[in-house]
Amino acid sequence: MSVRVRIPTPLRTLTAGAAEVNVDGSSLGEAIARLETQYPGIEQRLKDENGELRRFVNLYVNGEDVRFLQGLDTALKTGDEVSIVPAVAGGAA
Amino acid sequence: MERYARQVRFPGIGEAGQERLAAARAVLVGCGALGTVLANVLVRAGLGTLIIVDRDFVERSNLQRQVLFDEDDIARDLPKAVAAAEKLQRINPEVAVRPVVADLNAANAEALLAGADVVLDGTDNFETRYLMNDACLKHGVPWVYAAAIGAYGATFPIVPGETPCLRCVFAESPAPGTLPTCDTAGVIAPAVGVVSNLAAAEALKLLVRAQDKLNRALVWLDVWENTYQRLELGAPTPDCPACQQGRYDYLDARVGSYTLELCGRDTVQVVVPGRPPLALDELAARLDGVGTVTHNASLLRLRLPEHEIVVFPDARALVKGTTDPAVARALYSRYVGL
Repeated sequence: MSVRVRIPTPLRTLTAGAAEVNVDGSSLGEAIARLETQYPGIEQRLKDENGELRRFVNLYVNGEDVRFLQGLDTALKTGDEVSIVPAVAGGAA
Repeated sequence: MERYARQVRFPGIGEAGQERLAAARAVLVGCGALGTVLANVLVRAGLGTLIIVDRDFVERSNLQRQVLFDEDDIARDLPKAVAAAEKLQRINPEVAVRPVVADLNAANAEALLAGADVVLDGTDNFETRYLMNDACLKHGVPWVYAAAIGAYGATFPIVPGETPCLRCVFAESPAPGTLPTCDTAGVIAPAVGVVSNLAAAEALKLLVRAQDKLNRALVWLDVWENTYQRLELGAPTPDCPACQQGRYDYLDARVGSYTLELCGRDTVQVVVPGRPPLALDELAARLDGVGTVTHNASLLRLRLPEHEIVVFPDARALVKGTTDPAVARALYSRYVGL
């Protein structure tokens, strides 16, 4: 199951600048684990110390918020697109 | 109506929409890069009343992206809310523009935001946004979240009782140091311009009651990396403490004085809510000989060898030359009094 993960700007320092990354995984949790082996450090940006998704980062599968799917257990199939969308605080005051 | 002729010809607004705009009241919180663009659009569009809440004054590093300010505002040492209001009145004298030089906090948020037709987010931090979220939910006021940093930004509208609120979408703010800040990433004007104009479009839709046209999605874009994503927000989170359980954690924290480090500015803000207004001329007289003191109607500036304290009539102060809240509080206590 190869899925496409869209990496937001603030996390691209971890992916050597790549905006999109292809990983294998039959669930979102598995895809994140694969992402971590390729780009160490990215998992802890997405998950807290209890292994839960962080509350200021949203993950979407094909544009749908995984909070309304099965969270990290959301099933993935080849060609799915995973988007990572972290909170933006700046207002450039 | 000549002023609004092109806008009235646009079928989405028309004469009915224009009349609704003229009768509407908006509150802008934060008049920096995002805020000046939002204010500019709405005042030119013929809003009835705009209230501008901002705690800061104009500095030269603002001019690269904050479209309502110029060198004169710096020479006159004007607060942003006042400088913006003056400029906006020259652009469109038909709009009532009221500057409020203050920090939005738990003590004043309801008084400032309740009754508005829309609240606009020009802030630079999540604490203030969660407070706006609480006050707007409590009083049924729609508002538009907007944020930008570097070349990217995000925005989405929040309609109480209808769409997910800020805490549904971002339940907690990022911990300090986990994401880039304005110091580390900088910011370019086009990113701010795109995000704030998208937010302004949502505000116009809300004000002319074109709710069916609302962009019920989180828009995330990057003008440097050429990405644009539109992510459907869906329904409110069933257990959201704010919009589903009616718990207003930020609004109910009606605390005493507090400090806030200003991102990337070597400045700490000291706020003393609920304090009677300060007479700046009396304070200037008291501080005579302590350091170099200058003041105008809107602020007093005390220059000390290693620090600078800018005091506003609402008793709030910006202590420059430190990032340590304890140092800021001590200096405030020494020269202004706690």
